[in-house]
Amino acid sequence: MLQSLDPRVNRLGLPNEFDTPMPSKEALDQFETYEAFVQVKEGKPFEHVGIVHAPNEEMAFLFAKEQYSRRGMFCNSLCVVKTENIKVSPYSENDIDIYDSFSGKYSGSTSESFEVFHLTKRGKQHKYEGNVLAKDYDDAILAAKESFPRDKAIMNVWIVKSEDIYVSDEEDRDIWDTLKEKKYRDAIDYKASDKIKAFKEEQA
Amino acid sequence: MNTEALKELIYKMADDLLILGHRNSEWTGMGPLLEEDIAFSSMAQDKVGQSWQLYKILHTLGENDPDTVAFMRNADQFHNAQLCELPNGEYDFSLIRHFLFDTAELLKYQMLANSSYTDLANLAKKVKGEAKYHSMHAKIWIKQLGSATPESIERLQQSLDVALPYALGMFEKSPYEKEIIDEGLFGGEEVLMEAWKAEVEKIISDTKLILPDWSTIAPVYGGRKGVHTKHLQPLLDEMSEVFKVDPTADW
Repeated sequence: MLQSLDPRVNRLGLPNEFDTPMPSKEALDQFETYEAFVQVKEGKPFEHVGIVHAPNEEMAFLFAKEQYSRRGMFCNSLCVVKTENIKVSPYSENDIDIYDSFSGKYSGSTSESFEVFHLTKRGKQHKYEGNVLAKDYDDAILAAKESFPRDKAIMNVWIVKSEDIYVSDEEDRDIWDTLKEKKYRDAIDYKASDKIKAFKEEQA
Repeated sequence: MNTEALKELIYKMADDLLILGHRNSEWTGMGPLLEEDIAFSSMAQDKVGQSWQLYKILHTLGENDPDTVAFMRNADQFHNAQLCELPNGEYDFSLIRHFLFDTAELLKYQMLANSSYTDLANLAKKVKGEAKYHSMHAKIWIKQLGSATPESIERLQQSLDVALPYALGMFEKSPYEKEIIDEGLFGGEEVLMEAWKAEVEKIISDTKLILPDWSTIAPVYGGRKGVHTKHLQPLLDEMSEVFKVDPTADW
């Protein structure tokens, strides 16, 4: 039987070697990805924090909550958007405003609601800028170009239909309240360097 | 205030959380997908953290310090429901247990937020947000897998059938039931169980799972009085291994 230092592995009673090879997996069997956005404080803009894999948006929300609001990361609200529902503009370089590359005129249509996110600098995260009404994604970029005054060049823009955003219920706000005393969860509290040093000296 | 009644009430909760927290932590690194592995492990830590807070309250009531209480008792001194100590089995069983337990846990904290014992009421108010997330997590999984594929439905159904008698065992009445209710410490197991049944019925009815008639399920009692399955002692031995080698171990 396969012996491991991990008692959980021993309990599985696995053979040392498997007779039959692992069944082959179908290509591209992963769940779809969702982008998670966190609002750290009431009144602050939502900011992109990362990606989760999930079978649907409810589960994406569940996973994002644990990935991106643990360990002293403050969170007031969280939302998720399916990655494929985010329309991404081209990227600009240096101090060129990406909006300059969009010519044309906003239609003035108010048929659909869109949310706009801006990236101002390489290495930063996309931040929520505001809401615009337009007839489609391309129109929404033009609407955003007119609506949002900019003192800095915008490097990249994300446009999302408002209806594609999944956000937590107002009545579930209390899920963000947790016990403050969580030092035992933080790896930062495992001060082992002295012990490792002593062990190494002893071995030498 | 009846201190013995209060202690019994808190011991049951703390032991439930410690034992189930430990069981759920056994999934760490083995979860069905990375995101779920992290979420489930994180909730397991929440549970252990909540048990620690409850053991601290017990310490103020004259019991030993939390580490000693957690690590130095034998199985027959634990008051957790047997549901919590059963081995993880496959993920379907762990999910069903998580759902049945955390549905009750959230309702219990909501009731305890009005407890006449202030320390407990304050703690309940502080952790009911955590419990709500745990319950939400469980419900969404059950809803998802309870209607997904024939295999997922069948697996959940089998686990549900196995777990239900143990789940009803969570509500075994205390010898101090009357005092606990009269003194306003807690609304009592009966009230909790009825609210729990209604919630479980509601969630299960959104799936393709079948909930048997409650009257056909014989509750498995005993855990509250220190009667446990053969699975608890090995868990305790493993959990307390480091503490028993070196009680001052620190990391």
